[in-house]
Amino acid sequence: MAKVTNTFVPKDTVIEHLNPMVKIIGVFSLGLGSLIFPNSYLGFAIVIGLFFVAGAAKLLKDFAKIMFGFGIPITVMLLFIQGCYSPKNVTIIADLGFAKVGLEGVLYALKIVSTLLVFLGAFYIMNKTTYTGKLVAALTGTGMPPKAGYLVLASLNVVPQMQRRMSVIQEAQSARGVETGGGMIARLKAYIPLLGPVVMSSLTDAQERGMTLETRGFGVKGVKQTSYVEVANTKLDKILKTILILFFVIVTVVSLLMRMNII
Amino acid sequence: MDKVVVEVKDFNFRYRQTKRKALKNINFTVKEGSFFCIIGSNGSGKSTLCNALVGLIPHYFVGKVSGDVIIDGVSAAESSIAGLSAKIGLVFQNPFNQLSYTAGSVAEELAYGLGNRGMSREEMIKKVEYVAKLMRIEHIIHKNPLELSGGQVQRVAFGSTFIMEPRILVLDECTTQLDPLGSEEIFDIVKELNQKGITVIMVDHDMERVARCADQIMVLDQGEVVAIDTPQNIFGNPEIAAHKIGIPDFATICRVLKEKGYTDKEIEVREEETIELVKEAMAG
Repeated sequence: MAKVTNTFVPKDTVIEHLNPMVKIIGVFSLGLGSLIFPNSYLGFAIVIGLFFVAGAAKLLKDFAKIMFGFGIPITVMLLFIQGCYSPKNVTIIADLGFAKVGLEGVLYALKIVSTLLVFLGAFYIMNKTTYTGKLVAALTGTGMPPKAGYLVLASLNVVPQMQRRMSVIQEAQSARGVETGGGMIARLKAYIPLLGPVVMSSLTDAQERGMTLETRGFGVKGVKQTSYVEVANTKLDKILKTILILFFVIVTVVSLLMRMNII
Repeated sequence: MDKVVVEVKDFNFRYRQTKRKALKNINFTVKEGSFFCIIGSNGSGKSTLCNALVGLIPHYFVGKVSGDVIIDGVSAAESSIAGLSAKIGLVFQNPFNQLSYTAGSVAEELAYGLGNRGMSREEMIKKVEYVAKLMRIEHIIHKNPLELSGGQVQRVAFGSTFIMEPRILVLDECTTQLDPLGSEEIFDIVKELNQKGITVIMVDHDMERVARCADQIMVLDQGEVVAIDTPQNIFGNPEIAAHKIGIPDFATICRVLKEKGYTDKEIEVREEETIELVKEAMAG
């Protein structure tokens, strides 16, 4: 039987045990906060903070890989495009010969990069430290309709299912003598023809699943759905939620004042 | 008088884009607490009939339908599939079709239907523990259902239907992925449930088992009912046997004894009765 890899791996950390709503609020509060803040300082400060959070979640190595793997190329690309060719450029800070680098473009690029990194980093930590069942239980607990909850859960679970189907088809191909291992080219040759059947069968599965779910009582009218997964809402969760909401409110007010040149 | 819990009246069904009817003029009733078996060769309409019993026809499978299926006084056509699930539960032929694909563990998978009914977590835990023990899957309770073998998934699938405590259980060849021992374990549970008053409607190809368990057997052939009768009358009738249903070995032994003139008694289909008959024949 094919081994299925899940995004979430339990590591028994404080971050993992937090209520998923704290993490969702965190993603949006930090992400939107850095988006509306007039410069990139706040965004980069949050990114540094996220490294500490990732450390606490025992994810530092993977987190750093993602942040640098995405951050460095996107920064170079945006700095080049915006720095050299932004129409906002007025203050020239360097002459590369073929193009002049403008301060406004560079600052704008850094702002975009910092916001992207905050969203990416916060979402990555949430995704890696939150069990999907718990996430959906928390969402439905806040009043989200069960059908929407199912959509979230099914979407998040689609990857392991497709992996499973892929390996089943791959095993069947191997049994009939098709070469599915070896070098990159051999693997590509083996995998590309599998994509069609995997996608099509996943769509058929989704249809069959609707049938199964109904036979198991999904969508019974007048019943508030409950979950086997326990979602605790501790004092720490409540405090963190308040802090994150306050943070967003303060950032919004400060950003407005800064844009109005009051501070 | 025994209460009728399943009533199928003049039921016909033809799948969309097919010319042949999958079910033709089906009429039968099932009494509360009985063990009703449906047998027939491949393509005879057994699974289609199971789908009709739980409301998947007409709500899910599109086609031309006529007649009615009444489950515990409620018309399947007028009720929702989810609504019917409180009365009747189906264990699918393919256990992987039974999974919700939203659960990260077997425990969650078992509890899924209970959550849809709004059951408290404390009650869910008790029921999950009980069913896991009954189905002998306690050791895999924390595993991801997608990582299990076919036989294990079949146990989980059965457990996930059984946990919802329907008064009528429909089993559509629900042990195809289990080894003989595992299969017998499941049928022991089914028999026990039946003895506790649960109505069982079972589709199976194992005629020994059908003969052993069934109160009544319905033979389907090409979507039509050939006969509905007791196991003795079904397996003792050579005309019915001609519909490629297979005959239990015990019935064959009894028939040979009768043909050779060792006995003139009715053909038996179960082990104990056959042994008695053989003893009597040998003594005579």
